[in-house]
Amino acid sequence: MKTDKISIIHPRPSSIVAALYTLRDLDVDVAILHGPAGCSFKHARLLEEDGVHVLTTALDENGFVFGGHDELVSLIKKAADMFNPDSMAVVGTCASMIIGEELHDAVEEAGLNIPVIEVEVHAGYRDNTKGVLMALESAADAGLISDTEYQRQSIILKKATEIEKKHGAASKSYLAPSRGDVKYSVAKRVMDLLKEDKKGIIIMNAKKETGYMFADVILAVNEIAEEMKVRSNIVNMANIDQTLGLPRVRTHARNIMSDFKEFGIEIHEIIGGMDEYAIAGEYVRKAIQEKYSDYDFAIIAGVPHAIPADVISGMEIISVTNGPRQVLPLKEMGHEHVVVEIDLHPRTLGVSSIVESEFGATLREIKKELHSQKNEEFAA
Amino acid sequence: MKDKKIIAIYGKGGIGKSSTASNIAAACADEGYKVMIIGCDPKSDSSINLLGGQRIPTILGLLRESVDIQEEDIVFEGYNGVKCVEVGGPEPGIGCAGRGIIVAIQKLKSLSKAHLEMDLIIYDVPGDIVCGGFVAPIKKGFVNEAYVLTSGEYMPLYAANNICRGLKKINTPLSGVICNSRDVSREREIVEKFAEELGSELIAFIPKEQIVQDCEREGFSVIEKEPESDIADVYRELARKIMSQKKASNPDPMDDEQLRSLTR
Repeated sequence: MKTDKISIIHPRPSSIVAALYTLRDLDVDVAILHGPAGCSFKHARLLEEDGVHVLTTALDENGFVFGGHDELVSLIKKAADMFNPDSMAVVGTCASMIIGEELHDAVEEAGLNIPVIEVEVHAGYRDNTKGVLMALESAADAGLISDTEYQRQSIILKKATEIEKKHGAASKSYLAPSRGDVKYSVAKRVMDLLKEDKKGIIIMNAKKETGYMFADVILAVNEIAEEMKVRSNIVNMANIDQTLGLPRVRTHARNIMSDFKEFGIEIHEIIGGMDEYAIAGEYVRKAIQEKYSDYDFAIIAGVPHAIPADVISGMEIISVTNGPRQVLPLKEMGHEHVVVEIDLHPRTLGVSSIVESEFGATLREIKKELHSQKNEEFAA
Repeated sequence: MKDKKIIAIYGKGGIGKSSTASNIAAACADEGYKVMIIGCDPKSDSSINLLGGQRIPTILGLLRESVDIQEEDIVFEGYNGVKCVEVGGPEPGIGCAGRGIIVAIQKLKSLSKAHLEMDLIIYDVPGDIVCGGFVAPIKKGFVNEAYVLTSGEYMPLYAANNICRGLKKINTPLSGVICNSRDVSREREIVEKFAEELGSELIAFIPKEQIVQDCEREGFSVIEKEPESDIADVYRELARKIMSQKKASNPDPMDDEQLRSLTR
């Protein structure tokens, strides 16, 4: 451990889990964790909802001492029989990597005639994006992605890591988790801004599948603006370019876009692909400079800290995050209101259309109040 | 209650730890002490010369087969009642021998009543303390005295000095330095000086004798096979010293340059 860098003492995402999600995006059918049964359990379980068969060699105390080569070979074969997959991945864990297990030897010995991605990852990397990179590198080696795509992803991930260190969960030695501001008050404020005829930019800058819920913020704000007859005062931006990213990520973009169309939502500016949340800030910068520099407020859902502060300076900022540790850094960036969608991620796995967010639900509730007020006025 | 001696013998690989440990164990058994020897080397050959050249099942070997282990499965009686235990380990280059030692010692402690009755328990530990597992006997609070075995050659001294660094780090006193002679020049003088620099003492000088090899080739200790030999007396003397040793202090390891000039 180097002493010249701050040591971050709150728990953070694991590189093993990052590798698993990446394998999911690569549409790998089976991912075998070579390690203890409980390693990465929560995410392994969630990934099953997303259609990946996650298995474990369940290394035990004997496995730590004697190694688990034979177990791994037989599990690879068994998984091939059980699920008849088109592609498979074998993923390391802390335990198997410390004792020097060779994933490649086991894959060779199992001798399947489908691509098998080997990811010799453990959870001890400072940046969890290391797990993503390792998975992508192995995928490129196995011929599942092009070298160009690998290079593209590497650049995005580097940027994502930088942002996490600058304004994210890796920005401070300790960040206490927070539930953020009360959603009702913030929703009220949104309504007041609209009532005052203020002009607003609604940005969804979401990380991949989390877009299924962050997109709901765009829906809800548009609904309330419609109700108040001020829809022309708002513009929508979203990182849902359907031509960028791994196949699964493009599918998310297609699904969300088709929902937007169905609800009559126009996305005025496309700010990159769904894996480009870390670089979307630059698209936003360009759009604001060209067309929206006089806007009064911005609502940013997803990865709000990836939008550089100078791009939106002078606007009142409302941000919607799913990171309880993201509240303080966002406040420090000058965001007046920060709301947290607790436990968002699990609810965006295994879905293919927009899911209601708590903030969206709160806005809709206020819209109802508004509606009944209007009716009362009318009756009077 | 008598003082129970639980000692570990450290030293460079191949320097004669197992051989010395077997002879100490046999000599102490002859004196009427209850002795146990616990081999922690994955090669599991620490006790072989107390068992007429026979190998015994190892703790990890049985754990690997998921056997429901009883004390009698892992504790064997060798020469003159010496209890012999072998930890065992994985195949070379596979798994983790260090973790193996930790697991095996926990198992032994939970199973064996025999070790409670012993006067002397000798842990025969692999040459280099390469990872946490190899200091488990000490760290888990079993060992209360450590001895270092070396010759007067540079590399064994270097290893011995390194081991002392480890002992100092884990706050374990050194009770003495044993010289297993390789017949090099000024050997006794060099090892005596080394021991002194460490703040310890040379408690035995074991001359190089073919007879030790001859006995081992047949699977015996010198004490058992050649009890009348001069070298058997050397081992007996060493055994007595260990049983009566009261002095021990945290070693003060030498720096590399000092060590180099010592052997020059």
